[in-house]
Amino acid sequence: MVEEARYIYSIARTGKREHLGEIGIEKKAVYTLPHKDIAAVVHSCEPKPYDTKNRTQAEEWVFEHSYVIDQATKRFGSILPFSFDVILRGDDSQIEAWLCRNYEHLHEELKGVEGKAEYTIQIYYNYANLQSKVLDGNPELKDLQNQIEKESKGKAYLLSKKLDQRLKGLVSAEEARLANKYLPRIHRQVDKLIIDGKRSWIPEDCRDMKLLASYSCLVREDKVERLGVILDEINSQEGFRVRFTGPWAPFSFVKLGDLA
Amino acid sequence: MKPERESSLVEVLDRLLDKGAILNADIIISVAGVPLIGLSLRAMLASMETMLEYGVMEAWDKSSREWYARQETKLPLDDREEILFKAFGYLWRDEGIIGAWVPGVWNITSRRVLLWQRSPAKVAFEIPLQNLYLQEINASLQEKQELELIFPDGSAKIRLSESEEFKEALARATRVMVAVEV
Repeated sequence: MVEEARYIYSIARTGKREHLGEIGIEKKAVYTLPHKDIAAVVHSCEPKPYDTKNRTQAEEWVFEHSYVIDQATKRFGSILPFSFDVILRGDDSQIEAWLCRNYEHLHEELKGVEGKAEYTIQIYYNYANLQSKVLDGNPELKDLQNQIEKESKGKAYLLSKKLDQRLKGLVSAEEARLANKYLPRIHRQVDKLIIDGKRSWIPEDCRDMKLLASYSCLVREDKVERLGVILDEINSQEGFRVRFTGPWAPFSFVKLGDLA
Repeated sequence: MKPERESSLVEVLDRLLDKGAILNADIIISVAGVPLIGLSLRAMLASMETMLEYGVMEAWDKSSREWYARQETKLPLDDREEILFKAFGYLWRDEGIIGAWVPGVWNITSRRVLLWQRSPAKVAFEIPLQNLYLQEINASLQEKQELELIFPDGSAKIRLSESEEFKEALARATRVMVAVEV
């Protein structure tokens, strides 16, 4: 007997078995597998993970997965998106039994994201700009800078090292102050907020800038506009640029680790 | 401003590989009891970015971490010393005025707590289990809790995605020490 398995894209709110078309990974037929009023969005596959040594192939799979998530969201509203390459062992009836066992939990999670979507906010700033602002606002450092111009080469070198270090510290303190200033205002408009780690990737139009803060937020539909107004305010400040993307499926806010 | 549906490849990978639901259920495809969620594929896609800097490791599920741990150069252990707990995490290191999170694998052994770095392979930090205390640093908005290890002549700020498990393991390990001394 050949063992069956299902590749799972998401859990959606629907009680109907529907075919979504051949939109899955490698054109697999994607369908909903319901239990009561919730359903797993799946395709039928072999009981082994997708794996390849070919990068382009792997990226393609990931984009195909992402596409199914988007289509399911369009059709069913907010869903619980699954990570790439999660494969469940069993046939339709076994997966349905699994849905049945975890119905309460899944239902609760779905309720938690209803009418909401994930948005990412990245605030970039111009380092040189902030640095000169800090310098202008600090008479002591200004004096030090003037002194450097008058000193001999050796002494000037040592003093400029000192200036650099003081300035670096003050700029990073200013950076923290700014991030803390905006955070509560953003937080008030969102349901949940996660502070994302700093990352090495910077979008093309922000190449000369530094990342001040990066947030993933779960936002109610009717609050997106107000959030946009706050971000506009930050964006319009000299030397600042805000990147606001979404809506995405709530990838950062789904915790299903303890399902049975 | 209006949100844009614009996403770079890096961001798509970030969302689909590091975020999204993962299961610990029995029903998941597994090999020898370890859930196998396209591990090598993830490793390959993630390796194009500087993985640790980019934070990929943080969100990896437990099985990936175990897989990754197996790829490591072996950690030098003393005689009869055994590893009780292992998880990816960070150590806060002050570098003059600024500081940085140093990534690595936190190990609790029967003798010490240490941060192991893979390349170059070295013990970046270690402290014996005796007289070691753990304190939680409250950061309400931070997803990952920071902890402070307090030892007789100082302290160290650390961060792990499995901070609860770390706390438990440390509590167990320090009890083990007491038992050995008795």
